[in-house]
Amino acid sequence: MWKNYFKTAFRNLFKHKLYATINIFGLAIGLSACLLIAVYILNELSYDTFNKNADRIVRVTMEYGQDGTVNKVATTGTKVGPQLARTFPSIENYVRTFISHGIVKNGENMFEENRILYADSGFFQVFTFPFIAGDPATALDGPDKIVLTTSTADKYFPETKNLGYSAALNKIITIGDKDLKVSGICADAPQNSQIKFDFVTSFYNIGQQVKTETWWTANWVTYLLVHQAKDIEPLQKQITAYMQQPDVKADAKLEGNAYLQYHLEPLTSVHLHSSLAGFEPNSSIKYVYLFSLIALLILLIAAANYTNLSTVQASGRSAEIGMRKVMGASKKQIFFQFMGEAFLITAIAAIIALVISIFLLPYFNQVTGNEFPETIVLHPIPLLLLFIIMLIVSMIAGIYPALVLSGTKVLRVLKKGFTFTGGSSTLRKGLIIAQFSISVFLIIYTVIILQQMTYMQHKDVGYTKSQLLILPIGKKMLPEFENLENAFAQTPGVESITASYDTPEFVQWGDGIAVTDAQGKQNITLNAMPVDLNFTHTLGMKILAGRDFQQSDFALQDTSNNYANYHDAFIINETLAKKLGWTPENAIGKTIDKGSTGKVVGVVKDFNFNSLHDPIGPMILFLGRDYARNFILRINTGQTKTTLAQLEKTWKQRVPYRPFSYQFLDEAYNKLYVKEQRMATLFSIAAALAIILACLGLFGLAAFSTLQRRKEIGIRRVLGANINQVVFLISKNFVQLVLIAILIAVPVAWILGKNWLQDYAFRTTISWPLFLLASLGALLIALLTVGVQAIKAAFINPVKNLRSE
Amino acid sequence: MLSLQNIFKWVNTGSNRTFLLKDINLDVQAGEFISIMGPSGSGKSTLLNIIGMLDTPNEGTYTFMGENVLTLKEKKRAEIFKTHIGYVFQAYHLIDELTVYENIETPLIYQQIKTSERKAMVADILDRFQIVGKKDLFPNQLSGGQQQLVGIARALIIRPKLILADEPTGNLNSKQGEEIMQLFLELNKEGVTIIQVTHSEKNAAYGSRIIHLLDGRIEKTT
Repeated sequence: MWKNYFKTAFRNLFKHKLYATINIFGLAIGLSACLLIAVYILNELSYDTFNKNADRIVRVTMEYGQDGTVNKVATTGTKVGPQLARTFPSIENYVRTFISHGIVKNGENMFEENRILYADSGFFQVFTFPFIAGDPATALDGPDKIVLTTSTADKYFPETKNLGYSAALNKIITIGDKDLKVSGICADAPQNSQIKFDFVTSFYNIGQQVKTETWWTANWVTYLLVHQAKDIEPLQKQITAYMQQPDVKADAKLEGNAYLQYHLEPLTSVHLHSSLAGFEPNSSIKYVYLFSLIALLILLIAAANYTNLSTVQASGRSAEIGMRKVMGASKKQIFFQFMGEAFLITAIAAIIALVISIFLLPYFNQVTGNEFPETIVLHPIPLLLLFIIMLIVSMIAGIYPALVLSGTKVLRVLKKGFTFTGGSSTLRKGLIIAQFSISVFLIIYTVIILQQMTYMQHKDVGYTKSQLLILPIGKKMLPEFENLENAFAQTPGVESITASYDTPEFVQWGDGIAVTDAQGKQNITLNAMPVDLNFTHTLGMKILAGRDFQQSDFALQDTSNNYANYHDAFIINETLAKKLGWTPENAIGKTIDKGSTGKVVGVVKDFNFNSLHDPIGPMILFLGRDYARNFILRINTGQTKTTLAQLEKTWKQRVPYRPFSYQFLDEAYNKLYVKEQRMATLFSIAAALAIILACLGLFGLAAFSTLQRRKEIGIRRVLGANINQVVFLISKNFVQLVLIAILIAVPVAWILGKNWLQDYAFRTTISWPLFLLASLGALLIALLTVGVQAIKAAFINPVKNLRSE
Repeated sequence: MLSLQNIFKWVNTGSNRTFLLKDINLDVQAGEFISIMGPSGSGKSTLLNIIGMLDTPNEGTYTFMGENVLTLKEKKRAEIFKTHIGYVFQAYHLIDELTVYENIETPLIYQQIKTSERKAMVADILDRFQIVGKKDLFPNQLSGGQQQLVGIARALIIRPKLILADEPTGNLNSKQGEEIMQLFLELNKEGVTIIQVTHSEKNAAYGSRIIHLLDGRIEKTT
């Protein structure tokens, strides 16, 4: 029986190639979008679950505050892990971790590496990174040991390819100045691990500062392993109580209403549910929902095409169905025949979708910032998921045509021959409206995102982003700082040079100041930046009052006599001045206590030192060459390439122990918005797909409609209607539907777009002309789609149309 | 074999009631060859469709092989239809997407007959109608007469007791038409009851009894 059905189905597909192509490719595109998004979502949802102890591991985050200010960070002090483990028996183990970059040498080879993980010795007992060679139990039990991942071993010891990874054991690798012995080779950290690394070495190799235990200097991510998953909740309560004990508060040097607290986040919820970024920027469950929604919408559009085209095609099939009924087919049998047909078509589409997905995966990786191998879509879970989606789609898309067709009345077919029984046109109209609503919504939402992206790229951030070059520098260079700076400053093409700890687009250094005046003492938590001379000048910031730093300011930093007479000079931003109740002019000369005291020498116009999500907070600049991690150079336009070559030459002469690397500040700035960039790309693609699929369906329907109305068109032409009138006649109905869709989509897009923009302290205003343009665009595309068919119909010799009846 | 008593069929158009069939009484014995004649709109096809259970009358009783058809459940009625009645159409109504072989096979599929048995039955009938060579062709590759031959073969494949033919030769030239009528005659001799609707006096004459319809009434029987 099914053989008979499938034969009919296949032959029908070949007979109606246009509809078949639209149906199958539409569904294939929809399914492929779904499959790729499913791969992404599966990865997101599986984050960190590969750890055998996943349900027993928690990340400790820190919350501290005073006088109503609250700070939350994912990093903690060195004392947290060991002290909690000593105090609470439900903790089985702890790992403090830190990821840093450094120069790694292996004999002659020298690389700059940025995924060097420092971790306590229990790392491989807590987390699951299987060993290929070496013993995980002892791999980190001494400060002279290092574990490499297999890819790192391939890179540094190519001979392991033939000899096996154990050949790399006990080889020496140098990080900075320290020689380390390879004690193990472990598998690469998987794509869905929040900790990704190339090297693991002892936590104590970070340096002197981690050898004493302290609650503060919170730079390390601490993980705890508890004995049982159900211990987590009571443990959280115990820790909260513990941190309020007077002796603990005293130990943490907490005075007045200052407090310090720790929160436990289950390992598997960090990636999607935590607002605090640890080693990598977290994703958000919001993105998972958003991606799912997009997949669903695209699939719906494709499924709607199937439903629509199948019902209009019903006229062609009604004769067949009538006959089958005369030959004894029951309604149920006809129903299942057409469900089977829907299944067959979706199955063909699914196979094509697999091929498309494999082909598109590299591009998808680019959009989402992942590194999935192309074969991932062939893994059992994505395949199973594709199969389930396929089943659901074939059911949703097939059920209506199957119902309509199985309900065909035999008598009608016998009496009137092949009449149109294409089901209710209300449903068809509704589906077209839904398709175009989704498309127009996606287009407008995309336009809003793109508008915000453009706004962020061109926003005046308080300094000139372009032509600023960042050269990262190492501690070893600091003794030579001035010489190096001078050497770079004299390179042709360099206009100005300065240095800083953070780069200005993203300042993380947190600090606190105190100011005492007539009203009493004010404590303020703020961001601070240690900088070098010429900072505001090089960056092109505007000084509102006072001056930039000058050479004589260094003289204030008197380190003799155990810092007894150590003073600073400060430049503050407008916001801080305002917060302290000062105008820029009268701020000059005021005294601020920031550990050491100093006078305000300048007030700088506010600049964005954080992502545009956040408003500009108070900021203080102070001279601090010892903290410098970057040179910032302003270079001439037009000869960037030669200037870079010159700089590299100077670097190689002066700093032979460190490779030359650089970054442009505007690139770093744009990197802050990678997520937005990805979202913008994703939405652009989704919007394009949606409109293409919707138009594909419309094209098919218009083709059918003109076929249906060819007699009418013929009569009208004979009666003297011109081509334009005929085109108008055919297009009118479709255009009406698209207009309704626009009316539905615009307010929704406006509300949701506005809502999305709320996340930004600095945002663009939604402009109506753009809405209009997007709507007109969609309308025009729809009109063209229908118009092609209408014009074709209008040009046919009317006699021909009439004869065919 | 079947008996119609006081059959009325009407449609309501606005406040008017138009009668398609008025008080039809008809008994058909097994082995009869009946021709129904009459001008357009006289109710021939409606009568045939009621006999073929594709349509139901508004009033009257219909007994088919001892069963009161009109009081039967839909499923049972479909069962009787499926196993006892073969239908032949003026416009052949073959399924365009299926080959000659598959068209003939389809009714057997709906009777859930096993593949091997189906093969034998279809082969028999192809042989009998001498269309074995055409079994893999599609309907649009055949002439009208050949298509109607396939249509009849399809109706016969279920070994029906009754064949209903609605102007079976209407789309054929006279030579083809004659061949088809000869075929009906042969089938009738083998014991198949045939009821045909026709316009043509000549074709009607093949029947053992001719029913003349006029405005929904049986005008005369010859």
